Amino acid sequence: MNRTLPPHEIDAFGRELDALRQEVLDQRGQRDVDHIRSVVRTMRYAEAAGRLLLHVGIDPATFALGTGALGLAKILENMEIGHNVMHGQYDWTHDPELDGESYDWDMACAAHQWREYHNFEHHTFTNILGRDRDVGYGFLRVTSEQPWNPAHIIQPFVVVGLAFLFQWGIGAHALRLDETIAGRQSVAELWTRARPFLAKGARQLFKDYVFFPGLALVNAPRVALGNFIANGIRNVWAFAVIFCGHFPEGVRMYHEQETRDEPRGAWYLRQIHGSANIEGGRLFHVLSGHLSHQIEHHLFPDLPACRYPELAPRVRAICERYGQSYNTGRFRAQLTSVARQILENALPSRARPARMH
Amino acid sequence: MSTLATNAPHVARTASFALRTTQRLSRALLLDRSFRFWVDELAPVASRAELRARVLSVVDVTHDVKTFVLAPRVWPGHLPGQWVPVEVEVGGIRLRRCYSISSPPNDPHVELTVKRIPGGRVSNWMHTHLHAGDFVRLGAPSGDFVLPETKPTKLLLLSGGSGATPLIAILRDLAHRRALEDVTYLHAARSRRDVLFASELARLSSLHPGLRVVLHLDDASPRLDATQLWVLVPDLAHRETFLCGPTGMMDAVAPAFLGFEGRLHHERFVAAKPAAAASGAGARIHLGRSKRTITTTGRGTLLDELEQAGERLEYGCRMGICNTCRCAKRSGVVENVLTGAISNEPDDDIRLCVSVARSDLTLAL
Repeated sequence: MNRTLPPHEIDAFGRELDALRQEVLDQRGQRDVDHIRSVVRTMRYAEAAGRLLLHVGIDPATFALGTGALGLAKILENMEIGHNVMHGQYDWTHDPELDGESYDWDMACAAHQWREYHNFEHHTFTNILGRDRDVGYGFLRVTSEQPWNPAHIIQPFVVVGLAFLFQWGIGAHALRLDETIAGRQSVAELWTRARPFLAKGARQLFKDYVFFPGLALVNAPRVALGNFIANGIRNVWAFAVIFCGHFPEGVRMYHEQETRDEPRGAWYLRQIHGSANIEGGRLFHVLSGHLSHQIEHHLFPDLPACRYPELAPRVRAICERYGQSYNTGRFRAQLTSVARQILENALPSRARPARMH
Repeated sequence: MSTLATNAPHVARTASFALRTTQRLSRALLLDRSFRFWVDELAPVASRAELRARVLSVVDVTHDVKTFVLAPRVWPGHLPGQWVPVEVEVGGIRLRRCYSISSPPNDPHVELTVKRIPGGRVSNWMHTHLHAGDFVRLGAPSGDFVLPETKPTKLLLLSGGSGATPLIAILRDLAHRRALEDVTYLHAARSRRDVLFASELARLSSLHPGLRVVLHLDDASPRLDATQLWVLVPDLAHRETFLCGPTGMMDAVAPAFLGFEGRLHHERFVAAKPAAAASGAGARIHLGRSKRTITTTGRGTLLDELEQAGERLEYGCRMGICNTCRCAKRSGVVENVLTGAISNEPDDDIRLCVSVARSDLTLAL
């Protein structure tokens, strides 16, 4: 339960978080660059090892190892490197390889479209119903505050499909297909949005299923299958991490009128109550791109993500002092909670007051 | 005509077509980043993405000046008196400074002579951390502080402190071309131990009767100003002068050239001065790409100011989160209104929606 804060406490709360942010900005330096470069190095070596094993091996063991290494590389590249670099977390280094504006990641979503809908829409209007299109992505009912319609009955199956095809979901999210179906976006506008996505998707398909298999000559089917499984591993992993960050029980939704003219402290509060963390070890955090610290990521999306684990206990302590909830749990607990939300909301809500926390 | 000569343009065209196609394909498939990583990992100086130079040796010139001898992978060539942007990484941040090249064009290597500036991030880092075997990144050599194509008959090379670096390049080049006729080289230094290239100057003046070397030591005589300059160089009015030194010294000698300013060529490296108005009103913002200059009103952030001036800019949250309005600041000082952080580095990225001008600015817009 959250204590309702009077305006001066909201401001004080905001100032405490601003101070945390400033502290990291003042210390930002070699350590952060060393971290991201070591992740890049690990990713590149994993990628090279994976390709080598897939391309030259003929036995199932090298296939499994190669596919696993490639899947690991894709996870690191998308999560800890791509997502964080594209948030501009390392722009201050002036290293063109870590530049957020020019980075493009190894997945079907076109980088510039993601930067627009994710960095701007989702991070500014977090969990505001009708403004943040990440709430159920326009076709899932993840909270009882969203209106139910009969199509939601099959959403447990839709979600499983989405998990395996997650990169295509992230890419297609930029299209606003649901708005065209509802008549709020013209077909011409849809086509404008679809073109970069289709182009990027086609290039990715060509790379994974024509170019690299082609290089492998007789091993082509083996390489294509390895790429397919590696993509799948990354898809399911990214899906699980991201759903646990926003859709477990206890995450609050907002209505636009309550966020109008909100002061910075209230914006911070919304980020905290609109996100959930996953507990785990250092490796788990890196593999999740530190989205296991979704709360800290939402508070400080442009700070180097490797700082989130050290910020987390301090953010939590501030929340406790102000009587604010801080949603965190083990991976399995958060996943179970997400699954329950998806299942429960597939059916119309019984007559009960909307969940307010 | 030989077969080779007839085929050469055709072969070159095919090769460049193949190269371009490979580059486009690798970019489309996102393989270019991977290539650059492996080049960096295995042979950093071979990079084609940027010009890198291996440090061959580091030579002590005086107690606070060192010369870095560099071997770039390729060198576009430079004129004596020009400078080159040098990029190094200090605490994870790439910083760029322009240094005059002290070696003449005929030298097989490129030499940069760098004074350790108290508090200077790049010069201190170079003095402490840059050793033989490391590499630095270089930009293209540039600058118009160079001799005209035909050497002026009478020449004065006038320097103060580390301002000697472009002038020693000019002097070395003239010596190499055996063109040291009627050249006066006047160098002002704090004390004997601060004189740059002392033994080389002595050697050159004994070899070349046409060269007159004059040293002015601040601790032994009054500071160099216009009057002193006339005493040291009585035929000043007949000489083409090339001047480089600290701002104070350059301002002090400038009146000596009254009436024949056209003969004075100078090189200045000036730091941005913060604007007087705390609100940032009245600062001039120069937009490098659109070649527009606007004057700030002090009523809002740079994003507001630029929009009021009719610029149409990309923006998102307008509160310093989403990074959409990020823009490279080429020069000048801005303050982040959220954090109070001051950015005075050249080529710093700023967010227009949370920045106000604290000096005149040049933005990459």
